[in-house]
Amino acid sequence: MARDTDARTQFSELMEAYAAPIRRLCAAYAGAADREDLFQDIFLAVWRALPGFRGDASARTWLYRIAHNVALTWQARDRRRQVRESPLDEDLPGSSHIDLRRLALRQALAAMSPADRTLTLLWLEGLSAAEIEAVTGVKAATVAVRLSRIRKQLNPVEAAS
Amino acid sequence: MNPLSDDTLTAMWRSDRTVDKQTVMTAVDAVLREDRAARDKERRIRLVAAIVLALLCPLLLWGAVYGVTPLVRGGYALMAAGSAILVYAEWTYLDWLRQARPGPADARSQLRRTAFLVSRQASLLRTAALWTAPVFVGTAMIGLWIYQQRSHTGGYLLWAAIGAGWLLGAAAGMSKGTVLEQRRSRMEELLNDL
Repeated sequence: MARDTDARTQFSELMEAYAAPIRRLCAAYAGAADREDLFQDIFLAVWRALPGFRGDASARTWLYRIAHNVALTWQARDRRRQVRESPLDEDLPGSSHIDLRRLALRQALAAMSPADRTLTLLWLEGLSAAEIEAVTGVKAATVAVRLSRIRKQLNPVEAAS
Repeated sequence: MNPLSDDTLTAMWRSDRTVDKQTVMTAVDAVLREDRAARDKERRIRLVAAIVLALLCPLLLWGAVYGVTPLVRGGYALMAAGSAILVYAEWTYLDWLRQARPGPADARSQLRRTAFLVSRQASLLRTAALWTAPVFVGTAMIGLWIYQQRSHTGGYLLWAAIGAGWLLGAAAGMSKGTVLEQRRSRMEELLNDL
């Protein structure tokens, strides 16, 4: 019982710390109708994996691994869902500069392949190339090269400013 | 036109969306509820399978031993073996389903592992017509006995039901297997892209 309470507390703390980045991830992968489902699927996977978390990796790397694995598997599960709704069909920002930039950034993310999107999202969340390697399994040197190419694709975001 | 620095871009991205504590607590409850529901469902499936094994198989085995003719005994024996194969196939499928769930492995390893398990699930479903055969053949043998000893109409009706069940089962297995195979193929694409 005490163990259950501990697990629940640990889970609540993890969710509190990472709900915002995971919501951003969901917004990049899913349309408005499926976003909440994806969010729940991710944290369900986190909850199920929690007993096996021994702190060998940082909590952030561990959680991002699960989150991106769920998102990528989810993406492969039903392609029609991706076509039905664009990740940009909701939450359209207002007209301020920062909102236009965000919109351009989200458009650029939506246009990327899932693999590039994964790398970009991790980079945007502030992970280093080594951490991205730990999350994706893609070599850090390859990550750096690909991110450099991806950054050029993000030019429209700069143009929107 | 002001080019954004990497820092500005990442800071802008991370400033998008904040989540309050109340929303988090609601989400925690929802996740735990869903987990409980999934576990309950799994338990129910296992219970039904255990009941089938515990009740149906002994009954069929009894028929296999004390059936009136060798044809009937053979039919019941095949049905008993077929029921055990069905339950085993279901357990295996659920086990692969559980193993294929996304976990804390790196994305490449996870995709490779999930694609492999999805491929096995697809193969299992696509060959459903084969591993469900003992049940249907066994029932068909009982149908033959009914046709020979009791009523032609009864025999025909049973064969028609068996044929329809076998065909529908095979078609459903092929269809679901194809869906899974497509999913596996998309995972391979993702893996190659990554």
